[in-house]
Amino acid sequence: MPGCLNPVWPCALTGAVTALSGFSGIAVVIHGSSGCYFYPATLLHHDLHSTFLVEQEVIFGTSERLVEVVKDLSRTYKKVAVVNSCVPSILGEDIRDILSDYNIIFIDSPGFTGEFESGYLSAVKDLPVCMGQGTDRVNIEGINLIDPFARGNQREAERLLQLMGVPVGTIFCHDSYESLSSTAGLSVTVNPDLSTGYGQELGSFLGLSAIKTTAYSIADRFCKAETRGIENELLMVEERITKAADKYLKRFDPPTAAIFSTCSYSGFAAAILQQYLDADIVYCGVRNEPLISCTPAIKVTSLAIIESVIRELAPDLVIGSSFERSVAGDAAFIGLTPPIRGEFRLSSKPLAGTEGELSFMEDILNACMDYQHRKLVK
Amino acid sequence: MSLNPLPLSISRTGGCTLTGALSVTTGINDSVTIIHGPAGCAHHNFSLLHATILDNDCHIIPKVMSSGVSEHDVIFGGEEALMRAIMEVSSGDPGIIFVLSTCITETIGDDVLTVTQNAGVPVCMVPTGGFIGGDFEKGFSSALIAVSNLALPVHPTPSCNQQVRGSVNLIGEKNLEYEVEQNFLEVKRLVSLLDLTINLRFAHNITRSDINRLPLASLNILREPALSGVGDHLQSMFGTPYISSFPLGISGTLSFVRNVAVRSGLSPDEAFDSEKEHQEEIFEGFSDLREALVRLTIPAENPEYPLIKEISRAIGLRESPDGTVLPVPYPFPVGTSGIKRMLHLWRRTLTCRAA
Repeated sequence: MPGCLNPVWPCALTGAVTALSGFSGIAVVIHGSSGCYFYPATLLHHDLHSTFLVEQEVIFGTSERLVEVVKDLSRTYKKVAVVNSCVPSILGEDIRDILSDYNIIFIDSPGFTGEFESGYLSAVKDLPVCMGQGTDRVNIEGINLIDPFARGNQREAERLLQLMGVPVGTIFCHDSYESLSSTAGLSVTVNPDLSTGYGQELGSFLGLSAIKTTAYSIADRFCKAETRGIENELLMVEERITKAADKYLKRFDPPTAAIFSTCSYSGFAAAILQQYLDADIVYCGVRNEPLISCTPAIKVTSLAIIESVIRELAPDLVIGSSFERSVAGDAAFIGLTPPIRGEFRLSSKPLAGTEGELSFMEDILNACMDYQHRKLVK
Repeated sequence: MSLNPLPLSISRTGGCTLTGALSVTTGINDSVTIIHGPAGCAHHNFSLLHATILDNDCHIIPKVMSSGVSEHDVIFGGEEALMRAIMEVSSGDPGIIFVLSTCITETIGDDVLTVTQNAGVPVCMVPTGGFIGGDFEKGFSSALIAVSNLALPVHPTPSCNQQVRGSVNLIGEKNLEYEVEQNFLEVKRLVSLLDLTINLRFAHNITRSDINRLPLASLNILREPALSGVGDHLQSMFGTPYISSFPLGISGTLSFVRNVAVRSGLSPDEAFDSEKEHQEEIFEGFSDLREALVRLTIPAENPEYPLIKEISRAIGLRESPDGTVLPVPYPFPVGTSGIKRMLHLWRRTLTCRAA
């Protein structure tokens, strides 16, 4: 792996901890030092646990300390998940054997093995999931608690399924531990980057065309599913966005935009900008490996590179995290990617679903309008 | 949660040496700090630093490079990855390159010192080693000592002597704390009562060449007593005496003024009286709080207890088991200005309770 100046994306350990901490009833233990604990703990604002290893345990073995912590937590939690960090992962201790007397999940996802998504998916893969064969419910996938849109996306997906009369199955990853024992055989996602492979994937709720296709896929599987409500809503949303976008284009040129996010979110942002504002996407940078995208994407995780791209291309609009905002200069900015700091976010804003499309387009238009007004004043 | 007995000097929750060391090295604006480890370690720390600079309205983004140690490097050794990172960074001609090792590269046995010595470019290695090397405080002290070793030896000149008599250094400001600038301004105000200036904020918002000014002050003022090892090191290197802490509390602030004067060979009387008068004026402004019932929840053995008690008495508050619990910010407010800000907080707390 090449060196990276000012890396902007978390490691596999953070991804694994994020996935596991989404399930109530599971105690998540970071098997490592306090340094490895503090970052996910501050990011997630969630009760996490740690073995808080010290040097002498690296020399003499970590088993005694690990058993001490897991034994204590086993009294109050239904399940304990142990996530391995870099140093204990190379000590050669058989963690499963050490903890054989306890009801644990062991995730070997040290930071050097990869980035956030690989840790998240590896943790989900090792969850004690019991798949139902029935198609009476649909799981929701792609909820990631460090995502500023997680709460909104979940609510929006639940609302859309309710609108179709379809019961919700397990929510990956924001549900109870018990929900894993009866996972549905069908799934929809609000973030295709984090598709778990549990249940047949019926599609995504990210973007209007995806919502439409997914709704029809669901209807194919559920004879009682109702698509008319969603169809009406899609028409209304498209009309409202088109009207607002047309008004903007009457006065201003389409924006040039640079997007920096995860693969699915970048693709979503690029599509909406091109479709409604005929925007010129001058750069589409992705944090994770670009698997699918409607826009040619480049993997970039260094803030130094991001800064030089923004300086060179001077886009009207920058979409990304607070890292990008700090180097966006005078450009309009919209937060899409975690972390989004330096602003209050109290409501459950979605990105997925029809409300997500409306909300994101609203942010784009307002940011671009402000930018154009600032330009006029100058 | 039960905790295994550990030697008294070891804390399980003391944080990572990397964070402590980075809070120093990134205070040198033209530096690049290479973290020899997986990208995640650099991201965790960079993200924390970035959040802090956003909070403090600072627009200089520190440069933190990861050597990007991968699974392959963990198996076959990460020294090549470190050398590549040093070469890449040196091509940008930074003021100084720092290298910090992580727990994983320490465990696999990478010889970081040798790599930095063979790099062919000046590199300052800070002994860290993630949690293998200690905790946040250890990384912080180690970095201050390593960076101080970059200062040139002193060759006194007439202009240099002039500076020696008239200035102080601030050593080890907590760059990650929210009120770092307010604390600096308060110490600057207090030493200015003695006509002293700040020679160097070591290491806050400075450049590599500024470090050469480190030996030129007449006195070093440490941020907190935990940095006494750094104070001793600077005294042995440059002969500069030190005061072990920023001023805390009412009498503590007055003692601070007196100590700075005495250590700088100045008369403290005028500055002392002026600060005492300033404090009394401030307390008068909070006379509406007199006789308010309060409760101190800080244990008596806590070093902050006498400071709070002293302030509470100066305002005329009355302790009672039914009184309002007074909030005490962490870290404890610095100087008289810090006390004033805390008193506003207390007034809000007492007023809210009354409402």
